[in-house]
Amino acid sequence: MRVLLAEDDPALSDQIRQALVQEGRVVDAVKDGEEAGFLGATEPYDMIILDLGLPKRDGLSILREWRAQKNDIPVLILTARDGWSQRVDGLDAGADDYVTKPFHMAELLARVRALLRRRMGQQSPLFEAGKFSFDTRMCRATVEGIAVDLTAQEAAVLTYLVNNSGRLVSRTELSEHIYAYDDDRDSNTIAVFIARLRKKLGAEVIQTIRGRGYKIDPA
Amino acid sequence: MRSLRSRAILWGLGLSALSILVGAVVLVTSVDDIALRRFDTDMAALHLQLTAAVASGELNADNIAKELSDPLYERPYSGRYWQVTISDGTIITSRSLFDTVLVVPAASPELLYSNGVGPDGAVRLAWRKITPDGQAPMVVAVANSMAQLYAEQWEIRQSLLSGFAIVGLLGLIIAIFQTSAILRPLSTLRKDINRRWDSNERLDPSDYPEEVSPLVSDINTLLERNRDLLERTRRQSADLAHALKTPSAILRNELSRFENAGQAVEVAEDALGRIDAQITRSLTRVRAANLGAPSKRGANLHKSLERLDRAFATLFASSEKTLQLNVPSNLRVSMDQHDVEELLGNLLENAMKFCRNLVVVSAHQTAGATVILIEDDGPGIPEEDRIEALRPGGRLDTATRGTGLGLAIASDVTNAYGGTLSLGESPSLGGLQVTCSLPIRHGL
Repeated sequence: MRVLLAEDDPALSDQIRQALVQEGRVVDAVKDGEEAGFLGATEPYDMIILDLGLPKRDGLSILREWRAQKNDIPVLILTARDGWSQRVDGLDAGADDYVTKPFHMAELLARVRALLRRRMGQQSPLFEAGKFSFDTRMCRATVEGIAVDLTAQEAAVLTYLVNNSGRLVSRTELSEHIYAYDDDRDSNTIAVFIARLRKKLGAEVIQTIRGRGYKIDPA
Repeated sequence: MRSLRSRAILWGLGLSALSILVGAVVLVTSVDDIALRRFDTDMAALHLQLTAAVASGELNADNIAKELSDPLYERPYSGRYWQVTISDGTIITSRSLFDTVLVVPAASPELLYSNGVGPDGAVRLAWRKITPDGQAPMVVAVANSMAQLYAEQWEIRQSLLSGFAIVGLLGLIIAIFQTSAILRPLSTLRKDINRRWDSNERLDPSDYPEEVSPLVSDINTLLERNRDLLERTRRQSADLAHALKTPSAILRNELSRFENAGQAVEVAEDALGRIDAQITRSLTRVRAANLGAPSKRGANLHKSLERLDRAFATLFASSEKTLQLNVPSNLRVSMDQHDVEELLGNLLENAMKFCRNLVVVSAHQTAGATVILIEDDGPGIPEEDRIEALRPGGRLDTATRGTGLGLAIASDVTNAYGGTLSLGESPSLGGLQVTCSLPIRHGL
């Protein structure tokens, strides 16, 4: 799952990025409002974490512009502006959640997960299909109750497929959601990740529809 | 200080009463004088008649009475008398004098007037010394009862006084109208200020009389300075919030990294929690203390609650909790809208967090206050902890654990507006009931 993180404080941005990456997210971190506005409007993110007091452009105006353009990517506002009028204004502008600084990282991550699940129409953080189960909270896969070790990219591919379970996901779509903006995108490597995942989880978990893409079916 | 209106009316009344009094005294005196002169003129005519009667024939009472032919001279004590005192001491009088005589002062050939005493009280005397042809010198006097003059003077005074009373009453009415006409620009100014207090509109000095327009310019300057100050305070507190909260968030994350690495960070986390709570509460207090005064238009309570309701619908989207608003749509509170939302947002967040399923907000107006009730079906707060939960400057981190910082912040905002916040048990839902009473200010 690919997340846009718009936060101008480098230390805080790093902390959040690391925490998200540990959960198997792919993160594009930007430090100003102009870049955030552009990326949010042009890249297919699964969600956006938006600071309001950004240099060059205010977060609220960016959000309003996205919503005016029918862009419905879930947006979580993360800001020091903790007045209730400001929260209402933020949510009225189209935000899906509002977290004020200082925050507990665990709470932020939980709310990011909840937004992603809501986006995918899932209620439970635990996905199960036969012997395979995947906990989106901890990004942990098990087969017959035994934990499976995954690399960051494998986890990213699996998270995206699980969050879109029951739906065919093309290689291009997958690459758009598991690579950051600056990454070298090679859709051939996707096939490599899928092959490794099959090996670790069992061949039946991920179906390949030749020439079209991949699919995970819920039990 | 007494109001301009009552000062103007009282001074106007005092001065016009004084001028009416002086005018009345002067006028009454001169009118009395005119009446007396007219009376004396009549007396002179009577005296002339008597002199003619005395000179016309034999000098005796009957002859004179016949000549005068006025029945009043015949009726005893009628108020009209004559008397002839001959130099040999003989006194001839009208019948009206009956058995008395008039005391006539020393006479001269000139006709003299004076007040004297007659048989029926005070009289006006007119007398003169004459010497008719072939007769001895004599003093011829007529007297008229003053009662007639007094009655005449009284009648004139009465009509004068009722005239003055009407003039005075008219003056009073005119003074009231005049005062309100003169003071109208001031009340217009007051309304204009109330209307434009919260907006950035300037008052136009040329809309007011030249005596008031410098005041309007000064008010403009004051309002602008006040707005600037508020804006600066808001900006500064926002800057301060940002400056403090971002590093605090970084520290917190670092602490949690240490904790994950197996280090003991509980004491540091506790201290950081206290710093965070103090920052949040102090900034709210700074804002509320600055905003406690200026809102004259107030805010629509229902509108603010609807805005918050939308926010809570998003924030609690995944829960089954319901927020129910029973607030009349036209109810206003004498508060800045930001502060109403800060107050209610904190109270509602607390209620939504701790309720099982339901939070109900209701409001009504009493004689001097708008009362807002927020009830929930959660566990409530034990009676012994309620005061501590609201105590200004209380130990926020520990004392309010389980109730959140929201109650203390809401209490600060309410206090800044001179209101009261109290906690109790909801009779209908069983959980916490927060009663927030906000005074209604004049001009709302």
